[in-house]
Amino acid sequence: MQTPPAALTRRAAVLLALTAGAAFPAEAQTQTQTQARDTLTVGIAQATGTFHPNIESMLAKSYILGFARRPLTGHGPDWKPVCFACEAVPTIENGGVVLETTPDGKPGMRVTWRLREDGRWGDGRPVTAEDMRFAWEAGRAFETGFGGAEFYRSAYEFQSSDPRTVTLRFDRVNFEAGSAGGFEPLPAHIDRAIWEADRRNYRSRTAYDTDTANPGLWNGPYRIAAVQPGAGVTLERNAAWAGPAPAFRRINVRVVENSAALEAQLLAGQVDMISGELGLSLDQAIALEKRARGRFRFEYRPGLVWEHLDLRMDQPPLSDLRVRQALMMAIDRGRIVGSLFENRQPVAATAVHPDDPMVDKSLAPWPFDLARAQALLEEAGWKPGPDGIRRNAEGARLSVDLQTTAGNRSRETVLQVIQGMWRAAGVEARIGNQPPRVLFGETLSKRQFNGAVLFAWISSPENVPRTTLHSDEIPRADRNWSGQNFPGYANPEMDALLEALPQELDAEKRRPLWARLQAMTHRDLPALPLWHRAEPHVLPQWLDGVRPTGNMSPSSLWVTDWRVR
Amino acid sequence: MIVWRVPQIAATLVILSLVAYLAIGAMPGDPISLAMMADPRLGPEDVARMRALHGLDQPLLARWWAWAVGVLRGEFGYSRLFARPAAEVLLPALRGSLVLLGTALALAAGIGVAAGMLAALRPRWRGAVDALALVSQAVPAFWLGILLIILFAVTLGWLPAGGVPDSGGLAEALRFLVLPVATLAVAHLAAYARHTAAAMADVLRAPWITAARARGAPEARIAFRHALPNAAVPLLSILALDAGGLVSGALITETVFARPGMGKLLTDAVMGSDQNLALLALLLVAGVTMLATLAADLAQRALDPRLAA
Amino acid sequence: MTRLRAGVAILLLLVLAAIAAPAVAAWLGVDPEVPDILARQAPPSIAHPLGTDELGRDILVRLLIGARVSLTVGAAAAVASTVLGLAAGLLAAWRGGWVDALVMRLADGLLALPALPLLVLLAALDPSAIGLPRGDASADVVRIVGILALFGWVGVARLTRAAAISVLARDHVRAARALGVGEGRLLRRHVVPALAAPLAVAGSLAVAGAILAESTLSFLGLGIQPPAASWGNMLANAQDLVFSAPMAALWPGLAIALAVAGAMLVADGLREG
Repeated sequence: MQTPPAALTRRAAVLLALTAGAAFPAEAQTQTQTQARDTLTVGIAQATGTFHPNIESMLAKSYILGFARRPLTGHGPDWKPVCFACEAVPTIENGGVVLETTPDGKPGMRVTWRLREDGRWGDGRPVTAEDMRFAWEAGRAFETGFGGAEFYRSAYEFQSSDPRTVTLRFDRVNFEAGSAGGFEPLPAHIDRAIWEADRRNYRSRTAYDTDTANPGLWNGPYRIAAVQPGAGVTLERNAAWAGPAPAFRRINVRVVENSAALEAQLLAGQVDMISGELGLSLDQAIALEKRARGRFRFEYRPGLVWEHLDLRMDQPPLSDLRVRQALMMAIDRGRIVGSLFENRQPVAATAVHPDDPMVDKSLAPWPFDLARAQALLEEAGWKPGPDGIRRNAEGARLSVDLQTTAGNRSRETVLQVIQGMWRAAGVEARIGNQPPRVLFGETLSKRQFNGAVLFAWISSPENVPRTTLHSDEIPRADRNWSGQNFPGYANPEMDALLEALPQELDAEKRRPLWARLQAMTHRDLPALPLWHRAEPHVLPQWLDGVRPTGNMSPSSLWVTDWRVR
Repeated sequence: MIVWRVPQIAATLVILSLVAYLAIGAMPGDPISLAMMADPRLGPEDVARMRALHGLDQPLLARWWAWAVGVLRGEFGYSRLFARPAAEVLLPALRGSLVLLGTALALAAGIGVAAGMLAALRPRWRGAVDALALVSQAVPAFWLGILLIILFAVTLGWLPAGGVPDSGGLAEALRFLVLPVATLAVAHLAAYARHTAAAMADVLRAPWITAARARGAPEARIAFRHALPNAAVPLLSILALDAGGLVSGALITETVFARPGMGKLLTDAVMGSDQNLALLALLLVAGVTMLATLAADLAQRALDPRLAA
Repeated sequence: MTRLRAGVAILLLLVLAAIAAPAVAAWLGVDPEVPDILARQAPPSIAHPLGTDELGRDILVRLLIGARVSLTVGAAAAVASTVLGLAAGLLAAWRGGWVDALVMRLADGLLALPALPLLVLLAALDPSAIGLPRGDASADVVRIVGILALFGWVGVARLTRAAAISVLARDHVRAARALGVGEGRLLRRHVVPALAAPLAVAGSLAVAGAILAESTLSFLGLGIQPPAASWGNMLANAQDLVFSAPMAALWPGLAIALAVAGAMLVADGLREG
């Protein structure tokens, strides 16, 4: 009789043989994709909810909608504002932005957009000012539940002299208004009646979700032809599209939320490419590149995704600036970025990206300097204890919580490295990771953390960080926990800067304000900057023209440039 | 006695829905807090309005009551996560799980029962069957799934690594099913093999089997006509529990193979604070499981009159 | 008997390995929790017999340390479910009537629930909210064991109840009861001994189930928190890089399979008597 342990050993040997084979994936299996390349299959790592452009913001939705609709404006791969549905981004110079006084006597402004002549919905109807009027009305009615409420609150009047001209009047001056945030045409001929019938329930009745495949909803090069909830969408060419013709007859976007499974589908030839906006983690992509360089092309674009540690700076021990600075200098970011990410993402000096037009290049990132970190801690009264952890005069250990989103392996990895580095400085870090829902929905937003939390902010170029740095934006119960100033940074000078910045329309006059803002966060460290995350795009060798943007306008907005080699 | 089980099931479902509603509602992180993270410009008034809009300013119990009244009227509500009516999200997931688990369980039961009979009737094979059952129960599902993907999809390129086919007929659909079904079937067949082997061994020792043998009945007839139906009685309760699995899905396998299904749906709904969807799915699973257990009990009573006492 | 011996041998081996973990770590001169990012995913060598993981930590030492966590979770969850189930089952059988109905309907309800989403729900709750310390592996173990026991008692309770009812119905027990033997003594002397064998079997199966459940929770990011090692989180952490470093996933998977198989063999052996 064969004893079970013996059987097990044999089984183990077989498994060993199998996995050893996996280290050398066969090169000869691109067979499935050799037919005429009129279909492109893209893998993404997040499922979508609603397809309405203005309800909820999700990366997966914004990526898919990039193929299927044209917003009013966005930021190009060079991070300059560009027009999609309009002719030119309105500025003071081109007369699109005019300063004026509001009816109640405050400084205000009027912004005019000229819609493109060839804009068409998929059912052939032109995109007109009525579509913009509908978007503005729906946005202003709070019960519709659109995002970007502040924009609509400020835009108090809509004017239109002809079907292609749209003017909004704002009750305050803001240099960002010309690029219009989420304000974009919505198909009034389809959705207006639905909205007017029941505004409160528009979010669940909109044709974007009840009739997603209706061509009339889409004004981009592609239209959504079919939705598999939670699994992906199928996009077909939009017959009414008047711009340059896209290369593919059909684009499939597949959702594979498990990253190992996503990589497997790429290696098995089931997906042609993995979007950089939300696909593989950077370390996974780097490991893949080492083995499959010949099969795929890899492009890394450090984007406006700022990875950082928010510190609870209004409570000891982190209320002591010296402790925060010591924690900063105890992290060897250069080594982490070098060995974990092969220097693909730049170490951050502040939240402002090195490619941002307003970056202060003279400000260098904090160095790694363990000796200075230790000296600062000594100075702050934290002396080495018997177990290597520092203690203060009362005998309390220098111990901080260190948290991030559970299940995000890349961040969990980084956190453990930081824990090790802090330990070397005599600081104990207790890791307590939480699922995203808990971390973002409770721990951060209700300020229940008391140490450091690792996460990222995604922003657009020259985005004024009012909600993360203004003292009014510290979440409190009496403000319904709104605001994102989780560290609790309260500094009157910063508040004044944040109020002055948006109102300064002259870019050159904004520059010193931005420089001051960066210098202050660099010194005060409400958050420890780590790096600006790079998005790894994994592309097939035969695909040309994909340009990673690194900002909130996804690469899919330029799908008409994508070509088969 | 047995008629009492139906109202008991109904009462259990009501209590369950209440407990689950409160538990999910009491979990940290409500939909508005999450929306606030996505849209930094929401002010305090916006938050208050959104809470009112979603009914979150009402006490949990009142919200549960409103939900329960709606369900009784056949209104299952709207899935916040998928932006579609909850029932419309549920159906494709349910179909996915039924196909996946139905195939896997049929295969597991078939192979398991056959292996169990083999072990009971041919002692020579017993060790091998035991070893198979042991290994199949000991291997973590996602580990096996990934190993299968590495071998058959990535290295050999014979089968898809996961997902569902965009088009194509039954043959294509079957190709996509092979690996996930294999992963699941391995995990489930052990229970069938073990129980069949044990039950068959018991039955074969019974005096009336010895009597049948003495009468010279052929061995195959004894195995299939006499022993198997009797050995099947305890198997019914495993089947009933697995019937619950048919609708509750298989989270790990669905995740690793990126197939839509109830396991993933339930977890996403719970983690995403999508109460309407989570409750509907939970009640469906619990209801089906309890009814299947009831059916199994009835069948056992029918097959074995001693239990009716 | 061979199976019982084989199972016990496997489990003993694993326990010994777990006990030896600090000694092995000291002998190899490595710290299982401190990352060394200059030595990531190193191949096996004298210094690191099984190589290093994605953070440059020794896989062998982490496997041994992980054995402590995983085996503790397995054993503690089994004991907790058995004790809870035994109490509930005895109560139901002994009291009968509405108590019995209540306990059994509760059991049915729990059995009818899909366990995994509920495990996820419970695991997502913050341990510090109920006074457990954060960032401490032992707190994670307590949390996971508690969750597993919450579902694990049902099987034991049904088993206990069925066996206890049949014992209580036996003539000599009924006679003893009529003679006024105390209820506690009755349960202790007659009922519990009859339950020892089936409970031992159920307990061994619970060990196996708990070890697998820990790995599943880790897969979902809800298991033992880093940097502490458990087989489940080692396996889960290796999965992102499974195509470039498959061995890092292979070892913890094998360890789990071995431990589960050991516990199942013990159960089989006990069942055969």
